[in-house]
Amino acid sequence: MAAQGSVKAALQVAEALEAIVSRCVGPDGGQVLCTKPTGEVLLSRDGGRLLEALHLEHPVARMIVACVSSHLKKTGDGAKTFIIFLCHLLRGLDAITEKDSSISENIQTYERHWKNCCQWKFIAQALLTFQTQILDYIMDHYLSRHFLSIFSSPAKDRALCRSSLELLLEAYFCGRVGRNNYKFITQLMCDYFFKCMTSKSEMEALELVDNSFVELNIGITGLPVSDSRIMDGLVLSRDFSVYCPADGAIRMVIVREIIQPLFSTSRSEFILNSETQFQSSHFWIMERTKAIMKHLHSHDVKLLLSSVKQPDLVIYHARLSGMSVVECLSSEELSLIQRITGFSPCSLPQVSSLCEISSTALVKFCKPLILRSKRYVHLGLMSTSAFIPHCVILCGPVIGIVEQHERALHGAFKMLRQLFTHLSLSYIMQNKDQYDSSSPKSSRENSSQLPDPGKCQDIIVKNRDKLEKNQIHLKVLSSLAVSDAQLRTYIPCLTSKMTTADTLQTDETLRCLSPEKHEVIDGHVLLVETNSTGNSTRENPRLEIDENLEVTKIAGKRCLCTVRHQSMDTTCITSQDCSSSVPAGCVLPVGGNFEILLHYYLLNYAKSQHSEKSMVSMLIANALLGIPKILYKPKKGNYSFPQMYLRSLQALSTNQLMINHQAGLESVTGKYQLLTSVLACLTKILTIDLIIHVKRQPQKNCDQDSEDEL
Amino acid sequence: MALNGAEVDDFSWEPPTEAETKVLQARRERQDRISRLMGDYLLRGYRMLGDTCADCGTILLQDKQRKIYCVACQELDSDVDKDNPALNAQAALSQAREHQLASATEIPSGSRPTSQPPVPRPEHCEGAAAGLKAAAQGPPPPAVPPNADVVSCTQTALLQKLTWASAELGSSTSLETSIQLCGLIRACADALCTLKQLQH
Repeated sequence: MAAQGSVKAALQVAEALEAIVSRCVGPDGGQVLCTKPTGEVLLSRDGGRLLEALHLEHPVARMIVACVSSHLKKTGDGAKTFIIFLCHLLRGLDAITEKDSSISENIQTYERHWKNCCQWKFIAQALLTFQTQILDYIMDHYLSRHFLSIFSSPAKDRALCRSSLELLLEAYFCGRVGRNNYKFITQLMCDYFFKCMTSKSEMEALELVDNSFVELNIGITGLPVSDSRIMDGLVLSRDFSVYCPADGAIRMVIVREIIQPLFSTSRSEFILNSETQFQSSHFWIMERTKAIMKHLHSHDVKLLLSSVKQPDLVIYHARLSGMSVVECLSSEELSLIQRITGFSPCSLPQVSSLCEISSTALVKFCKPLILRSKRYVHLGLMSTSAFIPHCVILCGPVIGIVEQHERALHGAFKMLRQLFTHLSLSYIMQNKDQYDSSSPKSSRENSSQLPDPGKCQDIIVKNRDKLEKNQIHLKVLSSLAVSDAQLRTYIPCLTSKMTTADTLQTDETLRCLSPEKHEVIDGHVLLVETNSTGNSTRENPRLEIDENLEVTKIAGKRCLCTVRHQSMDTTCITSQDCSSSVPAGCVLPVGGNFEILLHYYLLNYAKSQHSEKSMVSMLIANALLGIPKILYKPKKGNYSFPQMYLRSLQALSTNQLMINHQAGLESVTGKYQLLTSVLACLTKILTIDLIIHVKRQPQKNCDQDSEDEL
Repeated sequence: MALNGAEVDDFSWEPPTEAETKVLQARRERQDRISRLMGDYLLRGYRMLGDTCADCGTILLQDKQRKIYCVACQELDSDVDKDNPALNAQAALSQAREHQLASATEIPSGSRPTSQPPVPRPEHCEGAAAGLKAAAQGPPPPAVPPNADVVSCTQTALLQKLTWASAELGSSTSLETSIQLCGLIRACADALCTLKQLQH
């Protein structure tokens, strides 16, 4: 049985999924209770978890959920927003195709369906063009001036500020974790982050944490959430087989095979002719084991970590020589230890080839740990990498809450990893109009003598040379220094007075320039201060901007545009390949800011374009509004969505500041990735012509592709 | 917003009439209701199948007892048939009346020239109670005196509907359907009263 109309089918599916996720999206969303087919009950706000718990047999539904899962694996954020945005896009597409099909009603069904398929393929192509060209262009030219940076110092020596990280993480967790716990989890994560990261390379450490998060956290049920804490070193989920207390730094050895030699190995035969042969082989084995253990003892090895279960003889000798033994460790734990301590496995010359013993390493301490009547091993490792090993002990009254927090923390690390990556943009600039529209604006805005820190165009006023002006305009738009300057004015906004940077707990290894408290003035977080509030601290930032101007001419991320633009009225440049990047650490305030900004600029762009580019831009711009609409649904009166929308549009069209009523930040890279993932999913849906249902899964040797597509 | 560029010049697009807007609105509301119900059932552990219902095209659900369930057919009244002039005489009549009114009153008299149809309309929109509320808040009928035989036709239709609804109510087992049928009966009764007032 074949079904036609993939957009309609996808729309039905997406609407059903949207009805589920829209109840738990945003800070005001509730929890969703889901009964799995097995009878278990799941109470969650995590979009990815909910979607995976649903029992979906519809192929389009499975495809959508697969897209969401792969997006989450990469970014850790945005499952619910994904579904909402996809649903709005499908609605817009359905409206377009319905409108067009109402014109041609007298055509037969099959022909209409074929026409529809061609239409959808056409739209899929247009979406791809949008993604590759228009989106990057708009991000680079228009949106980048609104970006803030989570770092509070120039590029080379970027220091992460705890208060900005808290804002970011609070906004992340309040949509995922229960309302009574999210502040605590935010603090826990910030503590963990600052304890584990050295100032050298956060990326390496974040990557390690993200990949090995399962080994770096222990979940305990039956305790209140507030008992969760961070412990130095690593906690292994096994108990000591032999424990011999030792003081100070001790030597450790990792083995992956049984130390005692076996009678025979695989792919070899062991032929016995008599009892005495057996006895002598056995005796040899015992002596061999004793020799190896003596050898280890002579090297002062006090801890043996084994991935397999060691025989009793080994345990006996270990106890004799005062060696602690931990057995049956998972290979992931061992590889994590190797990665942290920089181990490289090698075999000792005296040891026979049967046994592989890696080199020894020093550990600071090793002792048993009892958590809620379960015993663990607590290892203090000496790290050679950028990661200072710490372990998170997550407590919760029931297993569900512990798992929820675990998933949320893991997702947060993925999100941070994305945040600290540079996002490269590349697009083709088409004609003169696009390019010139940016420069006249720059000269128009130099109204006040004092440059408004938030406007990078105004900085250009300082430059005398027109040629340089435009080049620097491009450079400055994508350089870190400007966004840092923005943040420097942003952070003082958060407090009523600027205190010295002493924020820190003693184990914060990163320098922090911004003040300790981050109270929000009257619930308003101003992006940039106006000149009227005479706060003396702003003098410094402004001066620093002037100084930084010299710096930004040269340094910073450059927009590699091969532009030769002498003056405003030269002949047009038809097209050039431009590549730029969104620097690491770019954030925007929460509450649908990214969506509204992109919506506004896309609408402007669509007005200047024709044909399919305009259509696609309008479609996406309208669909983007769906997200802030849902976020602002519970708000009333002056803070309702229409009021907020009007205010924002007014502010944007007059180049004023957008005022935000919510504290919190979100990562720009994450939003961009979400947009591209949704567009990719939509393109996949649009390229389906026919859905053919089969009663049974095809045999393994058949071609798998013939199941769902024509 | 042409996607097939050749077609646009041939046909000019006009904005939908009030009736069409109402139909679109009702359809959208119905779709919203269907998606909400489907979401509820999915959360309860129902399985979303890959098949669609033969009657209404909604995606089918299957519960744990492997019973197939169509949300639209079994929980909501079908709305499409009632508003389709080709299938339902009443819808055709109301559409004809609308056209009559539109041509008769060139000057936009009042904000709702389609306030005449609210009298027979409520029972056609699904969720008759919702429709009834809309009709109750609507402006009073315009000054144009209605055609006598049209009124009697409407009364007959209403009585027919009333009979049908009461028969359905007697045999209905679903709570949702019963509530909706009661709403329908109430709406029919009120419509009959209004019609009687119109006649006098």
